[in-house]
Amino acid sequence: MLADEATFARLMAAMQQGDRVAANVLLTEAGMWLERYFRRRVPPSHVDDLVQEVLIALHTKRASWDPARPFLPWLAAIARYRWVDHLRRVYREASEELDDSSGAQDSEEDVVLARISLDRLFARLPSGQAQAIELVKIEGLSIEEASQRSGQSESLVKVNIHRGLKKLAALIEKA
Amino acid sequence: MNKLTSRADLIAALAESSTPVRRTRTWEGAALIIAATAAAAIGASGVFRFWSGILAGEASPYFWIANGLLLMLGAASTTALVAGALPQVGPRPNAPVWAFAMLGVLPLAAVIQLLVPHGHLHEGIEDPAALHCLTSSLAAGLVVAIAAVLFLRRAAPVALARQGWLTGLASGALGTLAFGITCPLDGIVHLGLWHVLPVPIAALAARVIVPPLIRW
Repeated sequence: MLADEATFARLMAAMQQGDRVAANVLLTEAGMWLERYFRRRVPPSHVDDLVQEVLIALHTKRASWDPARPFLPWLAAIARYRWVDHLRRVYREASEELDDSSGAQDSEEDVVLARISLDRLFARLPSGQAQAIELVKIEGLSIEEASQRSGQSESLVKVNIHRGLKKLAALIEKA
Repeated sequence: MNKLTSRADLIAALAESSTPVRRTRTWEGAALIIAATAAAAIGASGVFRFWSGILAGEASPYFWIANGLLLMLGAASTTALVAGALPQVGPRPNAPVWAFAMLGVLPLAAVIQLLVPHGHLHEGIEDPAALHCLTSSLAAGLVVAIAAVLFLRRAAPVALARQGWLTGLASGALGTLAFGITCPLDGIVHLGLWHVLPVPIAALAARVIVPPLIRW
């Protein structure tokens, strides 16, 4: 069973004072909470890396938690920050691939956006961008195949993927 | 299974290195920015001499209005900046946007003054103090911006672009205010143009420069 807000807050206050046992319990519980948080947002193969990144951030920035405020929103803000960072990395990798004019059919990285609350996010993208991302990044078609399927030129498919992924990252950051 | 083991190892290592920490307090950030503004004002007074007309009652109403609006923008931006320095979710205050919009009344009034018949168009264009006020305000703002960035690096901001804008607005407004006490030119055209322009310039510059400096 996951710890509740009051338990988290008590453990965190103790951790700020250097209590190592409390730190161990807190980090373990936070790890479980984060696992649930990220399971709904990224593919299973990325969850553990992200959880570990946030645990390190939690530890490094533990001085930034104010005991007068609730703990879980603080943790959620750090988790979202790391998630956006993760998306940016994916975006950069996707951009590099597109610069090489290759499709995105051979890497698990390329399906990462497919798992991230896509329906809700795609509704906020122009249809051309959503379609280009869906065909190339989720269905794994090459740029050429996506171009034929969508009726967009190959250049437009690339541009739409660039812009769409960038906008997705921005949408999540603002959320 | 390997991953779980590695996470357990990580947690053990992190817990082992959990020494006591001094909490980051938002008021410390505000105090640092206020101190930097005061230092910039003292520095500007040392270099350019404090305008004694302020205390002698010679300053025009425009002087008080312009610097009052800069102070309000600086206060609103600083408050939002230090609040956003700690991780949090939920809506964020938009007071700096409104304060900036209010400051925008000054250049609007200045432009109208310049364009009306028998206006003072040449005053605005040929203002010999323009560049001096612009660059000195930006230099004073740099002192404030450095203080803000130092605080943000110690804290944990999660909205970097927003913190960039806020740093620029706060440093531009407070830097111009700090320099403003040395400037005896208190007409609406001079104040509305050359004591406002540093703010958007600082905001745009900080939006580009600050995020990489405070990323963590």
